[in-house]
Amino acid sequence: MLQVNDFSNSILSKINFHLKDEENLIILGSNGAGKSTLAKVICGITKSDKIIICNKQLDSLSSQKRAQLINYVPPKLDIFDEYLSLMEYLLLSKLHAKLGIDEVIALLGIEELKDKACKSLSSGEQQLAMLASCILHNAKITIFDEPTANLDPQKTLKVYKILKSNHIQNRIIITHDLNLAHKLGYKILYIKDGKIEFFDENEKFFEESNLTRFFGSSIKSIDNYYMVNL
Amino acid sequence: MKYLFVILSLSLLFIAPFFGQIDISLSQINTLTSIDHKLFWDLRIPRVVVAFFTGGLLGLSGLVFQSLFRNPMSTPFTLGVASGATLGTAFAIVFSFIPFIALFGFFGALMTIVVLFTITAKLKAYETSSLLLVGIALSFFYSAALMILFYLSDQTQSYEIVRFTMGSLDVVGMRSVIPIVVASILLLLTTLKYKREIKLLLTSYDNAFLKGMDVQRVNTILLVSISMAIGVAVSITGPIGFVGLIIPHILKTIYKRSADQLLLLSFFYSGVFLVFCDLVARNLGTSSDVPIGVVTSFLGGPFFIYLLVRRKKQ
Repeated sequence: MLQVNDFSNSILSKINFHLKDEENLIILGSNGAGKSTLAKVICGITKSDKIIICNKQLDSLSSQKRAQLINYVPPKLDIFDEYLSLMEYLLLSKLHAKLGIDEVIALLGIEELKDKACKSLSSGEQQLAMLASCILHNAKITIFDEPTANLDPQKTLKVYKILKSNHIQNRIIITHDLNLAHKLGYKILYIKDGKIEFFDENEKFFEESNLTRFFGSSIKSIDNYYMVNL
Repeated sequence: MKYLFVILSLSLLFIAPFFGQIDISLSQINTLTSIDHKLFWDLRIPRVVVAFFTGGLLGLSGLVFQSLFRNPMSTPFTLGVASGATLGTAFAIVFSFIPFIALFGFFGALMTIVVLFTITAKLKAYETSSLLLVGIALSFFYSAALMILFYLSDQTQSYEIVRFTMGSLDVVGMRSVIPIVVASILLLLTTLKYKREIKLLLTSYDNAFLKGMDVQRVNTILLVSISMAIGVAVSITGPIGFVGLIIPHILKTIYKRSADQLLLLSFFYSGVFLVFCDLVARNLGTSSDVPIGVVTSFLGGPFFIYLLVRRKKQ
């Protein structure tokens, strides 16, 4: 479904991996390792001829066709216009979804935010707005860049349920949250200093030896939950 | 309130041709042989029409520029595009290419936009004020080039250039009105056609790209249309600054809507604003009309500083 063939730039070096049909992925790695850089390459914002999605070279596709295959949800909602409302933003996002806008709004429980300006939303509300947007976009692959960072527990749970749901076709999730990575159970790609250090099944990553290798003594595991060893 | 503004504006447009240095007697307007008839139909009406459509074109260009360049202070004037058109036009005057004057204005404007885009691509400066600094640098460069043209020109030509750079709405007869009306309506139709794309650009460039928009193509189409319109406008009226800065900004604070919904409103009210400024300029009681560019700059300069200060506070 997705092939990254030997991509290198100033931050990443020799990134090479394949995802099989209907396979999902979690990307882990410390701050500045190159996760978001990789995401921008895969979604086409950074142009490259090394990306193949559904057997088609990404940079040779028309804009519309590309949008049908891949979408990227950034860590923060970036809106320039100060008066653009959430409803207007969602109207612009409606591309391939079968669900209507009102259904998606109800699904996320953001009815009362509809007419608010996007710029005035809190960071948690913005995260929900972007989720609504990507459901309406409904690309073949959606990349989420730290979808649960800075969320309160209720919203984290809500986002987790959506991420797991079939409202999203295939997903690549960038995160620092090991519990999220563990519970989702998808294949894991670990990046360190721009290089792939690990690319395999979820269970293998969470083996004791690997955890010590990647996180040293900074992570502690209790009953299959992972926490920072403060 | 908003309807009241529309009614006031329409009445302003309607009464504007009746006022000026020379009083027109209403009963004579339709007498074909009278001076009043000539004055009214060949000077006053074309002037108001030119003022309205030039204003509309400038306001609309300002609004679109602010959306594309991500800065509430960027307009074709603050970024040097109008200076480019002015230089092109002055070039046509000095080297006697008068029949192609609009074309030269267009090339001047287009050249500036190409420079601006090359530099922004290098700076990645869509959202910073660096672009404004580039605009200022370009304006300086163009005024130096304009000085050289002065140096090369004879007395009549340099007088023509001076009058021209002050901005003037003096036109004679309905025929000279046609290019500006056509240019501004074409620009209006183009922006309305790309309304959804403009709206997508109002989110972010990345988002517009991800939603399947060909960002580069749309940007090019919009910027080339604006260069053409500005080129035509400048070659006829000279540079008239600050309309595109003031009106879109005021409309945003009144209507509180995203910029794509203000296209038509910006066009209309900027047109009305310029007609109003012209009415003021024509009725100040000075021996000859105050150039329109002087009036708008007097209003616009302080407003620009106000915007700068307000932005710093935020």
